[in-house]
Amino acid sequence: MIRQLLRYPSARAAFVILAVVAVLAVFGPFLAPHDPLAQDGSALLQPPGTRYWLGTDALGRDVFSRLLAGSTVSVLASLLSVSIGLVLGVVPGLLSVFLGRRFEWINLRVIDALMMLPFLVFAIAMTAMLGNGLVQAMFAVGILITPAFFRVTRAAALSIANAEYIEAARLMGASTSAILRRHVVAKVLPPVAVAAASMTGACLSIVASLTFLGIGVVPPDPTWGGLLATDLANLYDRPFGPVAPALLIVATVWALNALADALRDSGRKETAA
Amino acid sequence: MKQAHSDLPADNVVTLDIRHRRPEPPAEPLLSVRNLHVVTAQGRELVRDVSFELAAGGTLGIVGESGSGKSLTCRAILDVLPPGLNVASGSIRFGDVDLSRLDAASWKDLRGKALSAVFQDPGSYLNPSIPVGRQLVEAIRATLRLGRTAARDRALELLRQVGFEDADAVYRQYPFELSGGMAQRVLIAIAICAGPRLLIADEATTALDVTVQAEVLDLIDRLRREQALTLILVSHDLAVVSQICEHVIVMRDGAIVDAGPTRSVLGNPQSAYTRSLIEDHAVHTIDSAPSRAAAVQSAPLLAVKGLHAGYGIRTVIQDVDLELAPGEILGLIGETGSGKTTLLRTILGLIPAASGTIELGGARIDRLKAGPLRELRRSGTLQYVFQDPLRSLDPDLTISASIAEGLHLRGDIGRAAVSEAVDDALKAVGLDPALAARLPRHLSGGQRQRAVIARALALAPRLLLLDEPVSALDAVNRLHVLKLLRSLAVEKHIAQVFISHDLGSVAGIADRVAVLYRGRIVETGLAAQILASPSHPYTRRLLDAAPRLSADRSERPAAFTAH
Amino acid sequence: MTTISEPAPPQAAPIVTGRTIRLRHGKALLRHVGGTLGITLPVFFIATLITFLLGVVSGLDPAAGIAGDAASPETVARIRTDLGLDQPVVFQYLHWIGGVLRGDLGTSWFNGVPASELILQRLPISLSIAGVALLVGVVFGLGLGLVAGVRHGGRLDRAITLFAALVSSLPPFVVAFVLILIFSLWLGWLPSSGYVPFADDPIGWLAAVSIPAVALSVDVIADLARQLRTGLVVALSENYVTGAVVRGLSRRRILFVHVLRNASGPALTVLALKVPMLIGGAVVTEAIFNMPGMGKLAADSALRGDVPVVQGTLVVSILLILACNLCVNILLGVLQPAARRRS
Repeated sequence: MIRQLLRYPSARAAFVILAVVAVLAVFGPFLAPHDPLAQDGSALLQPPGTRYWLGTDALGRDVFSRLLAGSTVSVLASLLSVSIGLVLGVVPGLLSVFLGRRFEWINLRVIDALMMLPFLVFAIAMTAMLGNGLVQAMFAVGILITPAFFRVTRAAALSIANAEYIEAARLMGASTSAILRRHVVAKVLPPVAVAAASMTGACLSIVASLTFLGIGVVPPDPTWGGLLATDLANLYDRPFGPVAPALLIVATVWALNALADALRDSGRKETAA
Repeated sequence: MKQAHSDLPADNVVTLDIRHRRPEPPAEPLLSVRNLHVVTAQGRELVRDVSFELAAGGTLGIVGESGSGKSLTCRAILDVLPPGLNVASGSIRFGDVDLSRLDAASWKDLRGKALSAVFQDPGSYLNPSIPVGRQLVEAIRATLRLGRTAARDRALELLRQVGFEDADAVYRQYPFELSGGMAQRVLIAIAICAGPRLLIADEATTALDVTVQAEVLDLIDRLRREQALTLILVSHDLAVVSQICEHVIVMRDGAIVDAGPTRSVLGNPQSAYTRSLIEDHAVHTIDSAPSRAAAVQSAPLLAVKGLHAGYGIRTVIQDVDLELAPGEILGLIGETGSGKTTLLRTILGLIPAASGTIELGGARIDRLKAGPLRELRRSGTLQYVFQDPLRSLDPDLTISASIAEGLHLRGDIGRAAVSEAVDDALKAVGLDPALAARLPRHLSGGQRQRAVIARALALAPRLLLLDEPVSALDAVNRLHVLKLLRSLAVEKHIAQVFISHDLGSVAGIADRVAVLYRGRIVETGLAAQILASPSHPYTRRLLDAAPRLSADRSERPAAFTAH
Repeated sequence: MTTISEPAPPQAAPIVTGRTIRLRHGKALLRHVGGTLGITLPVFFIATLITFLLGVVSGLDPAAGIAGDAASPETVARIRTDLGLDQPVVFQYLHWIGGVLRGDLGTSWFNGVPASELILQRLPISLSIAGVALLVGVVFGLGLGLVAGVRHGGRLDRAITLFAALVSSLPPFVVAFVLILIFSLWLGWLPSSGYVPFADDPIGWLAAVSIPAVALSVDVIADLARQLRTGLVVALSENYVTGAVVRGLSRRRILFVHVLRNASGPALTVLALKVPMLIGGAVVTEAIFNMPGMGKLAADSALRGDVPVVQGTLVVSILLILACNLCVNILLGVLQPAARRRS
């Protein structure tokens, strides 16, 4: 599987980027050369240099250290949102195809309703009203991305639900749960994996947007989105300030999308063979 | 690739000498294809060195199985090859125009006007979102420069000409509202709207019901005579071609293997392949072991009485009575929409019976509750075999896993016993046990259908319901599977209901035949008797419409009388 | 060939006229519109129910706020009864949604101003940004998608596909930052913050709105271009295109009359799904460009627990989104009657 993916140059690049991000997420706080919260009053808004590699912010804090320290929270937040979305989306998506029309109708309407919510506004409202915090933000985003997983799962399940081999199994007396286990689940997982990869990227971007607005994270704690926000606020003084956090976000999101594309392509080749 | 073939001897150029009955003017070919090669981007040759000539007013049939290059040859003539395919070398001349060096503007002037075509799966050749009348008007206005109302009148006239009595209704319908036969008539109307000189009919009647096929072929033949069309008729069915065309080309693997006047190709085929095509049309009686005589006395295994069923408010089958003795094979004949499949699905409990009864071995099986129905299914008494074996096998499960599925569902059989039963089933259908570990896509069509039958056999059924089990198979495999089914009836006393639109298969295998027409059984009786002397007009029409080889073309009016 | 003694008519059904067909199509269209509405209504109620529950789950109690810190528990309880907060949640929802349908969104807990009034003040700003973004997104998205789809496999297609892939990895605020950097800081052409009403100064309005709108539209452009390209590539390989070529129709006619209509399905569907993103995404752009729009109102109100205003902004957004979706779905049904039948 992995070897097949590595045939795509974009997937190789994506793996390298994601490996770096993973290292940052796990070891970032320990790799930071300075205390990310320590303020150096003598060095405010410094340009990149030898002491502070990426310069300092308006409070004299080392941007590079804050970037490293913020990795864990940023990555973890999007992963947890995706996990919530996965659980809430995949199971009903699968069952909506196999559990009768009434269950299907209700599921479809609830998912439609979730899709009709103004995404970021709702995420903000939900996070703020549930008591502004990271967990609340992840939960809100997780619920709001549920339709993506629901739809992918349902589409994949629908495409096999009417397959003749499913009917053949039913004619041999197989129950719905037996059919799901034996014929359906394994075929639904690949597209769900593709969706999970690209949604992780999307969540990273969403969590960044939220933290950018000061939602979900308490100010002194660094996150990628939060860093971007302070850098944008100081755009006149440090026009290149936002480049590093923006680049990190964009690269990670791109890598996840590229991985998703490669996964999809290799899956397609396999079925075509 | 080009060089490899340029030094081939020139004598494999087939010249179809189609002489006018009139002494003059001398036969100038309307279409002349010389040394045509079609290659993929990777350089694989799909059409190899094809040459032929066709005189104005002539009729040429091109026969071959899918992948033989017959359709690609036509598409090369029309310059609509699929993406990635190209004409590598060769020349195509149409009248005095060299088609191989034509610019886009000249093509536009030629297509639809002098050169037109109809294809297989006619509905897909119409824009699904636009009513067919508007598409016909569009074609008329693109070629004839008529005003809006004039074009509309012409369109309605054309629709009537191709056999629609209710032309103004068809005019407004969307393609998805038309049956295959109707869509093909519309396409024919579009094709002839500008009075073309050459019409290419590429598998134009494939996948249509036999009676519809006969009607469409009649239409094409009639228009050809009325409008002095030159015709190329492409088909995988030699019989279809033999009925209309004066000349025939047989293609295989991209090359011509046989060519000449239809009569001489049929009477004196030059290649083994052509001979095998001709033999396919002989009716094979598989084996007539007297399984029935004894069977009739015993109590019926399956008894259907007064059955009505359908989908929602639509009743598809009406008042159907059927009886089947153990070991008996019943052939169920009928066209698309006649209710054959619905009948089988109702017996299987997939569609609820609206009224009437179904008994299996003396016990009612209609209106079973979920529990008893599952019990019945797990018992394996009643098994179903689908038309397309590839789609009825899970692509991710090995053959042995698929066969074992039903046994595992029973839950009372040990692992060793299951694998033994799988082996037995494979042996019973004559499938190499080495294939058991393979995935369905790595098997041939014939092997797959045996695997599906093995899956049914592993559960020791008493009744097999077979829905077009051989229609996706080639002639050789068809014969093998039919023999297998026959032996199951004779040796294991497995009763079978066998659906087929192919009367030859039914004639070869069935003890009795039931003819289904618009949801009703209009005729039933001994197979030999019904197929020899049908009493119901529908059965007669069905039998008459089946294309058969006709080497003798004198029965057809000459091609050039209608000038 | 065989002679058929009693040839079956090409149609099994009794003779139908053009009128019956027209009636049948009219009925099918009405059914489609009805079916679309029949889905939209329950979706509206579920979406507003979720919105309403948000306020309930938040545990914020308006009674305590109104009564003040020094109020006795009895006073608070009395206010709760007055506000209907002691009733079951379902009744509270029905009461609230009844008000919403009559245009009463409640009053702000923060300053006592009717929520509808607050929202109405901000709505033009958000609509300006989202509307211009939608326009820019549709024009450029469809344009690029058309070019990429027609020239699929070519260099232009690869460039557009790469652009779309890159751009869809960008959070909108990053695009906004790049645009500010270029057009405000370096070139000084456009303001980087503030809003001018259209009625006061149309040019100023356009200048104020263009960067946020473009920043927001980039994602729409990328997604629409991708979907239209995919739709075109699929549609161009359909048999009816070959049929049209063989009929001698011009390339342009085939593309614009036949292919585009059938290829636009995925793009239109995605467009409908993008509207919630546009309206939601306006929050971030409004924050960056310091514009007093509806998104900013929602965010500020949410942070200070002003439940009626938050719910009001959400309801208004949901209504806008549902209206856009309704239009797109009906349009799809009109453009592609065959697809309508399948669903």
